[in-house]
Amino acid sequence: MSVASAERKTKKKGGGLSGVLRREQKDPITEEELMKKDVITPEDCLRLNGVTDNYLCPPEANVYGIDFTRFKLRDMDSQTVLFEVAKPPPADNGGEPEFDQEEMDPNAGRFVRYQFTPQFLKLKTVGATVEFVVGDQPVNKFRMIEKHYFKDKMLKCFDFEFGFCIPHSRNTVEHIYEFPQLDQDEIREMIDSPYETRSDSYYFVEDRLIMHNKADYAYNGGT
Amino acid sequence: MGLLTILKKMKQKEKEVRLLMLGLDNAGKTTILKKFNGEDIDKISPTLGFNIKTLEHRGFKLNVWDVGGQKSLRSYWRNYFESTDGLIWVVDSADRMRLQDCKRELHALLVEERLAGATLLVFANKQDLPGALPAADIKKGLDLDEITTHHWLIQGCSAVTGENLLQGIDWIIDDIASRVFTMD
Repeated sequence: MSVASAERKTKKKGGGLSGVLRREQKDPITEEELMKKDVITPEDCLRLNGVTDNYLCPPEANVYGIDFTRFKLRDMDSQTVLFEVAKPPPADNGGEPEFDQEEMDPNAGRFVRYQFTPQFLKLKTVGATVEFVVGDQPVNKFRMIEKHYFKDKMLKCFDFEFGFCIPHSRNTVEHIYEFPQLDQDEIREMIDSPYETRSDSYYFVEDRLIMHNKADYAYNGGT
Repeated sequence: MGLLTILKKMKQKEKEVRLLMLGLDNAGKTTILKKFNGEDIDKISPTLGFNIKTLEHRGFKLNVWDVGGQKSLRSYWRNYFESTDGLIWVVDSADRMRLQDCKRELHALLVEERLAGATLLVFANKQDLPGALPAADIKKGLDLDEITTHHWLIQGCSAVTGENLLQGIDWIIDDIASRVFTMD
């Protein structure tokens, strides 16, 4: 490969999926430091050394009407869907909702708890699909950074730039990837420590944080 | 670390290929994408945005973008040209009525500066349908022989049966690899 073509490739925008473990964080930054900033950038979130205690932006920061409507996980080796959750379409029978969840808890919808069986940790290749809708204005440079940790150890970091999103569009992205390799002791520890596997999902538009979602995971289901 | 090791490492890291799949609505773009990745193709609705898949294939990181082909969406296609290594143009081979439209849209893409370096694969899809034109006729209908600006290939295929999808994808990857990456 010529150096020229290497430079060309490094200029690529959009579509990078980094599954590489970044064992040590250069120039780390703390959550407290970030909370003082007016604008939180992708580089800021990459510099964080673990999951955050709080959400780094309010739900109102999402002025683009971006809404996640489906999540699906499949096992590529057996070609089976492991699970799928979808948001019901709004007002399907004209009935009034019983209560407005968001009024009760401003963080409802920003946090998901997953309960898996130990078998889950033995998967080799999985396909994770998210579907999202976009509001009435175009979205530029839409980017997702998702960091998964077990306790203090980073398991995986996704960094993907969707780029442009069409107004009123419904979009999907499926990342097909190899599960991080874990040894037997780590697997045991993860099963024995429910909800200590956690993830932060950060979403940016034009390099500004506009959404922050959290999840935690247990692998002791069915035992 | 020697220079060779550094270069090798760079190459490993940079073996990323971006494919953009376009075509008129109902050409079968999403069905091709799903079939290629072993997904259920029973319930596919018109794409009102994009579908992206990132996957590993033959040691390459493929990022495949399938953008909706409805008329109202075509003006947005240009937002997805940047950094495209390969363009996959999908044709409904049974849709004789719109072959002229199909040709016009394709040739409009080929003069785009940001697609100038992209390899072109034309999938003459729906070969399983009885009314489908063979790939040779699609080639004529789209004036593919006129194209001198891009490496191109036309491949008859069926998204429903999966016939020739892999052959087409492998060809486009090989062509991109021979242009962009040094082969080992």
